[in-house]
Amino acid sequence: MKVTYFQQLPYRRLPDDFGLRHESVVTTPYHDLVSPEGARATFGDAMEELMHAARAGFDALAVTEHSQTSFDVCPNPDLLAAALAYATESEGLETAIYPLGRSLGKSREPLRVAEEQAMLDCMTGGRLICGFPIGLAYDANINNGVPPIQTRSRYEENLELVLRAWTAREPFTFNGTFSQHRAVNIWPRPLQDPHPPVWITATGNPRTMEHILRSGFGFNYFGWFGARLTGPRIFRRFGDIADRLGVAFNPYRIGFMQVIAVAENDAQAEALYGRHVEYFFRNAIGAMPLHRLMLPGGIDPRGVEALLTDPGDTGVYANMRTATYRELVEAGCVIAGSPDSVTEQLTEISREFGFGNLHAMLQFGSLPTALAKENIDLFAAEVLPRLRGVWEDENHPHHWWPQRLGGAPALDAAPVATAGGTR
Amino acid sequence: MTDTGSAVRQVEVWGGRLDLRLRVRGRGPALAYFPSIGTPADDPLVALLAEEHTVHIVEFPGTSAGDPYAVHALDDLWDVVLAHEEALRTAGLAGAVAVGHGFGGMLAAELAASFPDLFSRLVLLAPIGLWEDEAPVADWLSAPAEELPGLLFATPPEPVTGDSDPKAAVAAAVAAVWAMGCAGKFVWPVPDRGLDKRLHRITAPTLLLWGEADRLNPVSYAKRFAHKIAGSTVTTLPDCGHAPQWERPTDTHRVVSTFLGEVRIEGLDAGGNRTS
Repeated sequence: MKVTYFQQLPYRRLPDDFGLRHESVVTTPYHDLVSPEGARATFGDAMEELMHAARAGFDALAVTEHSQTSFDVCPNPDLLAAALAYATESEGLETAIYPLGRSLGKSREPLRVAEEQAMLDCMTGGRLICGFPIGLAYDANINNGVPPIQTRSRYEENLELVLRAWTAREPFTFNGTFSQHRAVNIWPRPLQDPHPPVWITATGNPRTMEHILRSGFGFNYFGWFGARLTGPRIFRRFGDIADRLGVAFNPYRIGFMQVIAVAENDAQAEALYGRHVEYFFRNAIGAMPLHRLMLPGGIDPRGVEALLTDPGDTGVYANMRTATYRELVEAGCVIAGSPDSVTEQLTEISREFGFGNLHAMLQFGSLPTALAKENIDLFAAEVLPRLRGVWEDENHPHHWWPQRLGGAPALDAAPVATAGGTR
Repeated sequence: MTDTGSAVRQVEVWGGRLDLRLRVRGRGPALAYFPSIGTPADDPLVALLAEEHTVHIVEFPGTSAGDPYAVHALDDLWDVVLAHEEALRTAGLAGAVAVGHGFGGMLAAELAASFPDLFSRLVLLAPIGLWEDEAPVADWLSAPAEELPGLLFATPPEPVTGDSDPKAAVAAAVAAVWAMGCAGKFVWPVPDRGLDKRLHRITAPTLLLWGEADRLNPVSYAKRFAHKIAGSTVTTLPDCGHAPQWERPTDTHRVVSTFLGEVRIEGLDAGGNRTS
């Protein structure tokens, strides 16, 4: 198992009743709520935690992209990744740098994404992993003005341009619907051959899953909606599609993000982390109304019909704004407890869902840096070592990881038709 | 003229890449009707207009039943205008009266500005297409569903209660959501694609009709449309929101038919034929 330290950049000083007093966390008023010290600390704290995790032995540092919001003040994860690239390289830390969410459905400058990430690959000496989600509606459509009905087609075209820009040996002309370039000849090109591993984060849309499998990319799924509720549905669906396409099962093709809180025992976990867990879910995902996550045209009619008739993919989302710590634990939104308990739970869902990459979210919401470091340390010392061997007995090659860090050569885009995808 | 009853015409346009559908109602001179987007059925004004006209309800690409992906054939507003112009001429509707509401009103205005000979008369019910920072057009695409009635009506109707077919309700919701997405493709995020620069090209006699309590597309835009369209007239309805054809259909019909009648006096008979 590869274990990533997953970090967002929340503004940690919102009032406790923020979720009840404000329409959403993506329309947060700035000057009413933010102090200069708080804004500055957002970045200093996150960098400190990320570097702490790198030194503690995590396999990668993952960051995400969200504009105009207080739950993840990171409009461009490549900026953060650049700082991490230099810092880890200069300390000799063999960890991957993983901008896990650079939304290509949102991007109006895809060539800049290709250039920035090629730079990062050079700066890290080939330790870059790239995540290209399609994009959340509030960000791609409301913040960036992309018509919802064009998010996916823009994403597809942008991804094609990024991959061509990285791999083309000669300059080429790109005549797209959304971008036109007379001559694409980016400097630098990525170090990794043919390019850094590509991962797509998705929420359960079968069409996206099929695209991921056909393209040979990795599939990331986030467990915020309650892993115990949504995980079985989502990963069964992914496995079924893999079966249909004849793509062989490989746990390293799948990444799973989980909020984790480790303490001496369950009671201490609740005492230490309870209110910070509640802060995160109430003031982040829970404070994003559905009409800002799903805009007309952004979801295919068949998808809208599926959501209206069976909203199971959204788990506990509807009640998240007032959810209690215990409800969140019960739904699997957070896995908390002693190192033994957390290890056992993570091992169990890893085998059940079939994921070979865990993105451990160990800082969440208002959790202060000192406590986040305790969580990181306890996890790194007592949980992480026991997760590493989860899939070792099956000898799957990890095609979705940088070769410098032990990854196998990349797969061809066309999936190899062998055994079925489910276990 | 013979009563066409209720028929559907399908017109192949855009080099064979798009079938544009027209629902046909009533009898009389031809009238092209550009409905507001997301309207589940013909509004009451259609039935009233159909008493004196052959109303061709132009279904926006992507909103026709069973053909949601037709919208992908058109990339931008210029594609939309050209495809509709092709369809109207192919269907023999050049020279017809045009009536449009909201997004449909904007489309009718764009057609009339691009092809000044296309319509004999133009009726625009609260058309979108202009933008002033002081009077923002409401963000209907990202508004929560429960807020839409308040945007559309001065006095929102009571929600329908009682037994309803859940499957039909889901199908209707899916269609309405997708239709909004189809319109959003061409006006998101700000419904200003430069119509203001083109309105002066409209030569058809034009009526602008607006609800005075329009919370989606403020009535102040009526003046700006009127200023740009030479010889246009403005009528506003008190206590009426963005959808006068739904909220005040009889009054709306009276104003529209009076306008069309006045235009007839200027040179066309009741059948729409030139008298001179």
